[in-house]
Amino acid sequence: MTVHDHDAHAGSGALQMGHHHVSSAALFAKVLVALLILTAITVGASRIHFGAANMLIAMFLACVKASLVMAFFMHLKWDTAINKIVFFGSFLFLSLLIVFTIADQTTRRMDGKWHVQKSPVQYEWVHPRLLTDKKD
Amino acid sequence: MSHDGHHAVVIPAPGPEFQPHTVAHHFDTPVQEFQSAKLGFWLFLATEILLFGGLFAAYFYFHEMYPETFRLGGKQLDWQLGALNTAVLLASSWTMAMGVRAAQTSQKKLLLRYCGLTVLGALIFMAVKFVEYSAKDAHGFVVFADLFAPYDTATGQIPWFQDYDGHMAGVPHGHLFFAIYLTMTAIHGLHVLIGAGLILWIMKGAAKGRFHAGYYLPVDLVGLYWHLVDLIWIFLFPLLYLVP
Repeated sequence: MTVHDHDAHAGSGALQMGHHHVSSAALFAKVLVALLILTAITVGASRIHFGAANMLIAMFLACVKASLVMAFFMHLKWDTAINKIVFFGSFLFLSLLIVFTIADQTTRRMDGKWHVQKSPVQYEWVHPRLLTDKKD
Repeated sequence: MSHDGHHAVVIPAPGPEFQPHTVAHHFDTPVQEFQSAKLGFWLFLATEILLFGGLFAAYFYFHEMYPETFRLGGKQLDWQLGALNTAVLLASSWTMAMGVRAAQTSQKKLLLRYCGLTVLGALIFMAVKFVEYSAKDAHGFVVFADLFAPYDTATGQIPWFQDYDGHMAGVPHGHLFFAIYLTMTAIHGLHVLIGAGLILWIMKGAAKGRFHAGYYLPVDLVGLYWHLVDLIWIFLFPLLYLVP
């Protein structure tokens, strides 16, 4: 068993729930500081106009923050393989939902023949792409 | 001997201020009990990801459809209050992680203190949320009194979206952004309240000395739930308050 400088193991006693990783208080403090700094960067990056990249930057930073929370606060780094598969599996299926929804959304032609996305509330409203996207 | 012929498995208390833990009779060992509960809880958290995931998919769908509505809608929210709540929730996630650590190392008073701080974080979060919702109500972005009033098919007027000052007048379907804002933050807020209730329940057990290095399973699971609440907010904050 490798014990790192910030590691200790709870329960060397005979009858326990098993050997579990106990993270050091210093590690948790570092994670919190990193999360707060990343939040400040998220706010800062939103002030600069990168166009469509703003969404990618915001989601990338959120994913980094989420990874820190999952790995350290949720102890997933030291959890069993099955628990990691279960939790990451939910993100896999979620990504299927979102990727195919957005793929459908962004590849539809609003060429006057397909009015499927007309609003059910205000029928005079026209999708912005009808007005701006005049290609083919 | 229990009814199925097994001796009850008991995890001894590490000190006089703690209680021993009797492993549920349908488990053979404490490790089996721990791993089963953990797997079950991770499965539950996976369903939570999928619950919020549907809402995130709706967000991306409508954001792509009406980007100007979402950008203007996001500007009506107070990003400073959102950032404050982000910091509060991140800090409370830290206190919860420290609480679990205190349970793992049999530090009863420390566990109670960190759980108390986490509940305090939840209360601050909800108080800020209340201030925010009041402002949305005052502007007519979300008229809470008419939230469930029937939709007028003749005029097309949505009762809960009045936009008294016409802030959203220049964009189509201003109500869409606020519908998504309210649904996502309200369901998230409900999770904050449930989480705070669960942590209070942990404190009750901790005061009795139920949790220590030998047995801290409920503290661990409630901690995971609280971190999930934080995890969701990490994505909600930039998407709603800083609409990219």
